[in-house]
Amino acid sequence: MAVEPKDSPGVGVDEWVARSVERKEYMPGWRGDAQRALERVGWWPRLGLAAAVGVFIPLVIGLNSFQTQVGIDALLLAILALGLNVSVGWAGLLDLGYIAFYGFGAYGFALLSSNQLNPPNGIHWPAYFSIPLVMIGAAVLGLCVGWPSRRLIGDYLAIVTLFFGEAFVEFTNNVAPSKLGGPNGIFALDPLHGFHVQILTPTGYFYVLLALLVASMAVLHMLDTSRMGRAWRAVREDPLAASAMTIPVNRVKLMAFAIGAMIAAMAGAVFAAQQTSVFPTDFDTPYLILIYAGLILGGAGSLSGAVVGGLVVSIVLDGFLRSPNQSGYIFYGVILVTLLLKLRPWSRVAFVIVGTIVFGFIVHAIVGAIWPSATAGITGANNTWTDLHWAIVPANPVTFGNICFVALLCMVVVLAQVHHRWRTILLIPTLYLAACAWEARLSQVPAITRLLLLGAILIVVMAWRPAGLLGARRVEIV
Amino acid sequence: MTKFIQELVNGLTQGGLYALVALGYSMVYGVLKLLNFAHGDIYMVGAFVGYFVLQWFGGPTALAVPVPFVILAMFLVAGGGMGALGVAIERFAYRPLRDAPRIAPLITALGVSFLLENTMLLLFGASFRDYNTSAFIPYSTEIRIGGVHIWIVQIMVIVLSVALMYGLQVLVTRTQLGRQMRAVATDREAAEMLGINVDYTISATFFLGSALAGIAGVMAGLAFNEIYTLMGFILGLKAFTAAVVGGIGSIPGAMLGGFLIGLAEAFITGYVSSTFTNLIVFGILIVFMIVRPTGLLGRVQLQKV
Amino acid sequence: MKVRMSLAALALTALVAAGCGSSNSSSSASSASSTQAASGGSSASKSCAASIGIEAPLTGQVAVLGQEQLAFAKLAIQDDNKANGTNITLVQGDTQLMPAQATTVTQQFISNSKIVGVVGPAGSQEVEAVGPLFGRAGLAFISGSATNPTLTTSGKNATFFRTVSRDDVQGPEDANFIVKTLHPKALMIIDDQEVYSTGLVSAMLPVFQKAGIKVDHESVSQKVTDFSSLVAKVTPQTTVVVLPWQVAANAQQFGKNLAQQHKNATIVGTDGTFSPSSFTTAGSYVSSFGPDITAIPADASIVAAAKQAFPKFGTFGPPVYAATHVLDEAIATACKSGSPSRDNVLSAVKATDESSSILGQPIKFDSKGDMENAKWFLFKIDKSGKYNLVTGS
Repeated sequence: MAVEPKDSPGVGVDEWVARSVERKEYMPGWRGDAQRALERVGWWPRLGLAAAVGVFIPLVIGLNSFQTQVGIDALLLAILALGLNVSVGWAGLLDLGYIAFYGFGAYGFALLSSNQLNPPNGIHWPAYFSIPLVMIGAAVLGLCVGWPSRRLIGDYLAIVTLFFGEAFVEFTNNVAPSKLGGPNGIFALDPLHGFHVQILTPTGYFYVLLALLVASMAVLHMLDTSRMGRAWRAVREDPLAASAMTIPVNRVKLMAFAIGAMIAAMAGAVFAAQQTSVFPTDFDTPYLILIYAGLILGGAGSLSGAVVGGLVVSIVLDGFLRSPNQSGYIFYGVILVTLLLKLRPWSRVAFVIVGTIVFGFIVHAIVGAIWPSATAGITGANNTWTDLHWAIVPANPVTFGNICFVALLCMVVVLAQVHHRWRTILLIPTLYLAACAWEARLSQVPAITRLLLLGAILIVVMAWRPAGLLGARRVEIV
Repeated sequence: MTKFIQELVNGLTQGGLYALVALGYSMVYGVLKLLNFAHGDIYMVGAFVGYFVLQWFGGPTALAVPVPFVILAMFLVAGGGMGALGVAIERFAYRPLRDAPRIAPLITALGVSFLLENTMLLLFGASFRDYNTSAFIPYSTEIRIGGVHIWIVQIMVIVLSVALMYGLQVLVTRTQLGRQMRAVATDREAAEMLGINVDYTISATFFLGSALAGIAGVMAGLAFNEIYTLMGFILGLKAFTAAVVGGIGSIPGAMLGGFLIGLAEAFITGYVSSTFTNLIVFGILIVFMIVRPTGLLGRVQLQKV
Repeated sequence: MKVRMSLAALALTALVAAGCGSSNSSSSASSASSTQAASGGSSASKSCAASIGIEAPLTGQVAVLGQEQLAFAKLAIQDDNKANGTNITLVQGDTQLMPAQATTVTQQFISNSKIVGVVGPAGSQEVEAVGPLFGRAGLAFISGSATNPTLTTSGKNATFFRTVSRDDVQGPEDANFIVKTLHPKALMIIDDQEVYSTGLVSAMLPVFQKAGIKVDHESVSQKVTDFSSLVAKVTPQTTVVVLPWQVAANAQQFGKNLAQQHKNATIVGTDGTFSPSSFTTAGSYVSSFGPDITAIPADASIVAAAKQAFPKFGTFGPPVYAATHVLDEAIATACKSGSPSRDNVLSAVKATDESSSILGQPIKFDSKGDMENAKWFLFKIDKSGKYNLVTGS
């Protein structure tokens, strides 16, 4: 993974910092020019531009209810990744209990907007009152959870926060079922309302969340460039040095927890209003994993990285991978793009692609001649390849598909170990195996495939860009 | 008193499994500073491998060969197979990230975890599979102390897990490989300069840790019968907890942490409230960690300036 | 930082645009390819094409439940397409039993105009979350496993139906049986911290209290597979352990833990544990809202096919088969009277009146969406693991 240019100064040397501007990489040609031009525009206009794009997309294209829902999910994940970025990305505190703040916001809002408390009429406070209240509560909770960070460092802090996250789920699931509803959750919540306005439609929530996302980005950007932001990064890099520079390390850490918690609670409140119900299972570890995946995939420590990561993970996972057709496009598309990007020179790309096609026809012809039943299968969803007499799909494809899949995994591991000519040659049967496994098995079980692809994407992206899509490569000080 | 001893045995059995899986966590963490969240899933795959070995010998009700031989075969195949799987995962997924920011391999580990869980779901379906251990090791092969019934499998789990941990401790402290591991754990670059083959040492660590998880999976199958594709998730969390509570990186610590959590769960379920078991265990652990921030046997790290 | 902000804007645009583009194209693609799945193949069938969505936990902690439901839904569609000459396809939606995911899947189904009816979602809490959405879209949805009474009594889920009985039917029946037949002095009841379980427990507890039985109410997560520390709490006076769980394999393990510690308590399971292939602890009782379908001669062919598709099926599949069948018939009826639109299918589902079904009882919905004349059966498991009918109403 040595990607440093040869003449770069040594790691940890002053020169590294001094020459940071020189190292700034621009893409070649017009893309670099565009990049420079955009940089000159300044920060506010660019955020405004991004917001405007977000506003106009639904107006111009006309999202249906599913696409709007995916947009809501994506914006929620983006906001949550933003909040997580404060403690994980900036302050360098591994907070595995972050999901609890989201849950706290949702439950807090639910209690203040339903009949649960103070029966029979309940409490139905307007959103402009309940959401800030919930956020303040979350901030206090964040201070409490952050308290151990005064003494605990690194992974010991991670485990304590993980306990806190798990304890939150246990708490909502088991304590005071008459108020918190136990596993039944709380439902029939008020939608967001206040000033004689009620938000009822998914599109409405899309815009609310968009506004909140833009506002959070703006606030966090200002924090990032303020004293506080610099203090966070100083504490992340070296707490001892930071405290020597008179930075109040503990207070700075607590602030990171509190601000992250407020953002999460805000997202939680809107989530609860949008779903009009809250349940403990929505705030369990699997969703925390998604938030982390979004943040780190996008690039921890970078605002836009967190947002893009959150959007990408959510849109890919919910928008594309939920139906077999779209996940088919993703599957073949990603393979093709990877080939085009990674294989050099072009002649090799052509060799592999043509080779795979020819290889497929030959194998299909041979297998079809020996066992006609082995190529008799028709898959329900995506049968273009089998119509071409190319991929092998037997009449009963389950076992065959499973074998193909296992063989594919083995081949991928082998491919990672061999080099040069062998890699190019072995790539051909590997690609063919991938197509067979997809057509015979994976396209038939979209739910399982969705998570398999998520796993594969996480591994590949992290290997490709360890600092995340938009994250800055950080120097580990030795 | 009967109940007390019974809960003690239950807690130790469960704790032994936690401890074995925690060992792998702790070893890998020691050499790579990596939280390998896929470790619990290796335990799950190990349980499945053991199940298929059992089927290979004729299934629980019609074993073709003597029982001890079958169990030995299950341990060897699952242990060896999972060791190999661990090495493969390390080479393929973690090695490219060895110099990456510390948080990146965390996400890779989650990706590996998704892949393992769902590959098993794809290949073997969602149904629970049943070791049905009592068909070949009946509950009557037991030690009876008054009203307490201790099944031979429970004894095996406890004894074997302690023995494996002792063996591992000896390996780490006395052998050449162990010295290499400790050298890599202390300072990877310095170890490399001293001529230690770091890649080999890390692979060996993954092999040992994953083999222990595989053996723990078979033990879980034997002791608790039902296995399924997500059984590693919750156990992985518990083992992670055990490793940290014991002092991450410390082998006796992981063992102690595992037994401690197993016992805490059993006694709280038995004497306080099963509804709030997890809540109370988490509460105790949070307080404990605040009081003792580096775990039971973790060393306070001196900060170099 | 600044470059990245702009890249963020670009990526956002590209993603959303790509998302819209490909979603639109896919709905047409799916309709084009869906014709392949029809097994009828007659030319008349082309006129009655529609899709049914299924919401179930196909992955995650209770994938065992969702995959069983999916297998039965597929079977039902295959059988009915053959019988009715229709061309109905199934669209899968994985919810992992999480309401938030169910919401997303529901919106996906609602915006897919091919889908005219939905099977599921599996969990009561999911129905709570998505019921109003389906109601606004006028889309009929039939759950085969959501048993919480308030789903129908609250009146908020206008297009909701179910092919299972409610907790307040099953719970008291089970409890009365335990009180009257098993005469325990003390019993232990363990919920698995899920909606289904806590619902049944709260329906049973009053009956036990009224009968003056000493009740030890415990609780254990369904993710756990070792119950030895709970079993150690079973006292000699405790002769009955009630397990209202949804994972039958866990009940089986509980039975083994009992045997290992030589406790003589009798297990009483609810319909969630009804699974002749997974829960076979001799001497236990299991209740169910339907008879054992493996013992119904008319269901023999379905049972044979189901054993192929999902060998260890239990209680979650058959009601989903029934639910899917109701939708299939409704679509066929709607086709005859016009087009299989959502409105027509909804009114056909409301008018469902089947004299017999896979569940061994007629299916007819009352005005709220519950099955009329919900029945209750109780089985005892014998030494060989066979389920023998004890009583039924």
